[in-house]
Amino acid sequence: MLTSTFRVIKFAFQDFFRNFWLSFVTLTILILALFSINLLIVFSAVTREAITSIENKININIYFKPEIGEDQVQNVQKYLLGLDQVKDVQYVSKDQALESFKAKHQDNPKILESLAQIDNNPLGASLTIKAKSTAGYPIILADLKDPQYDNMIESKDFDDHKLVIDRIMGITSKVTTGVAAVALIFTLISILIIFNTIRMAIYTHREEINAMKLVGATNWFVRAPYLLQGIIFSVLALIITLIIFYPLLGFIQPYLGMILESKFNIVTYFNQNFAYIFGLELLAAIAINLISSYLAVNRYVKV
Amino acid sequence: MINFKKVTKIFYPKTVALKDLSMQIQPKEFVSIVGQSGAGKSTLIRVLTAEDKPDSGRVIVGGWDITDIKQSQVPILRRQIGVVYQDFKLLPKKTVFENVAFALEVCGISSRIIKNVIPQVLKIVGLKDKLDRYPHQLSGGEIQRAAIARALVHRPKILLADEPTGNLDSLNTKDIIDLLLKINEFGTTVMLVTHNKDVVNRIKKRVVLIDQGQIISDQEEGKYVL
Repeated sequence: MLTSTFRVIKFAFQDFFRNFWLSFVTLTILILALFSINLLIVFSAVTREAITSIENKININIYFKPEIGEDQVQNVQKYLLGLDQVKDVQYVSKDQALESFKAKHQDNPKILESLAQIDNNPLGASLTIKAKSTAGYPIILADLKDPQYDNMIESKDFDDHKLVIDRIMGITSKVTTGVAAVALIFTLISILIIFNTIRMAIYTHREEINAMKLVGATNWFVRAPYLLQGIIFSVLALIITLIIFYPLLGFIQPYLGMILESKFNIVTYFNQNFAYIFGLELLAAIAINLISSYLAVNRYVKV
Repeated sequence: MINFKKVTKIFYPKTVALKDLSMQIQPKEFVSIVGQSGAGKSTLIRVLTAEDKPDSGRVIVGGWDITDIKQSQVPILRRQIGVVYQDFKLLPKKTVFENVAFALEVCGISSRIIKNVIPQVLKIVGLKDKLDRYPHQLSGGEIQRAAIARALVHRPKILLADEPTGNLDSLNTKDIIDLLLKINEFGTTVMLVTHNKDVVNRIKKRVVLIDQGQIISDQEEGKYVL
């Protein structure tokens, strides 16, 4: 048993090196398939980050009536922070609102003059609400329609942004679905390419397989070296893909930083998910290789 | 040693390759199976190596009825029979040594024994200096001798040769046939399938003439007359 195992390993490596060009081509195709999957992961991660980046820029401002006190506004803030949909609520006091208003209109002397003529601060406090996702805003606003809150509120600026937010939600939803569909198609294509490549490689060995069977080899003695080669191809392909892919990630990261205007780092993303992404790829590559090798050899061992 | 009892083999839909063929080959015999192309000669070899199963009749090899042999036992059968083919069937990416060794490796023989045995077998077939050559580096005659070495290395009691000289010139043909005769002298039963009448008539051994799947004549020291 041990002797046969060593022989299987020997035959697998022998065949790999003695059919070098065939091995090279097979390996290249596997590398290209893995590379395209990883590019897709990059695209997916960047898209997700871009969507998050856009969503983070969206917020709602709730302007309270001038007569509403600080305590009441802060109670509303506490209530909102307790909602599942809410990520953050920033409180802007009446005085801060006034200062902000003056700074905003500092080039408009007429407005500043009119403001100076009013004794009291005409502006009320406000709350700036950030939701965890854009889908949360309508729910938050529905909650605030409760009379105990609605009576305190002067205005909300969500309605002004509603059209934009709806459009963004529509686009991000379509982009997410689109990316998922493209990912699925690419993955299926990669599986078919790998499957076919291995089958074609074994097709070139069909007469050898025939000869081995006629000399008295069992099906497993014939099959095992090809299965082992499939594993060798998968491991090598992944290692080479990593060697090419990581420097490429390092190269594109500065450009991504500029485009996304965020702290997102694609290299860190892959590092953090290394075991998951590349572990899954390795297992998938091995599985596809083993299945295709098994099925391909099976065609020719029936002698 | 080999016993065909009313063996019939029909290839779908209607091609009768063997029809009620009965024949016995004794141990240490040298038998030439002759006939025109399509007579059923190669089918005899295929039935003996369990590549094809007879539709009726019995096939017995060395006392073992292989008519309904299980798939799992086919490799065992093939390790007990040496076969030489017209198209050689050597493994192109293995050296002469490795090709011959493969026949022992499938039996699980240790590397130490293989290293001792192979040079001796290659000496018998005249290839002891060509251990490390690949098939593409050999002549047609040398390739066939390597194939014979592979067929012999596990000391089978039976050697089947299916048109072994079909792809060779007359000089190499003579060498191969002489080698087969030498092997027969060592005690191996040899069944030579050929349509080459010159070969058959030269060796003056038992000749079985087959036509349309049936034995037409069976003569000791026979001749192949077209």
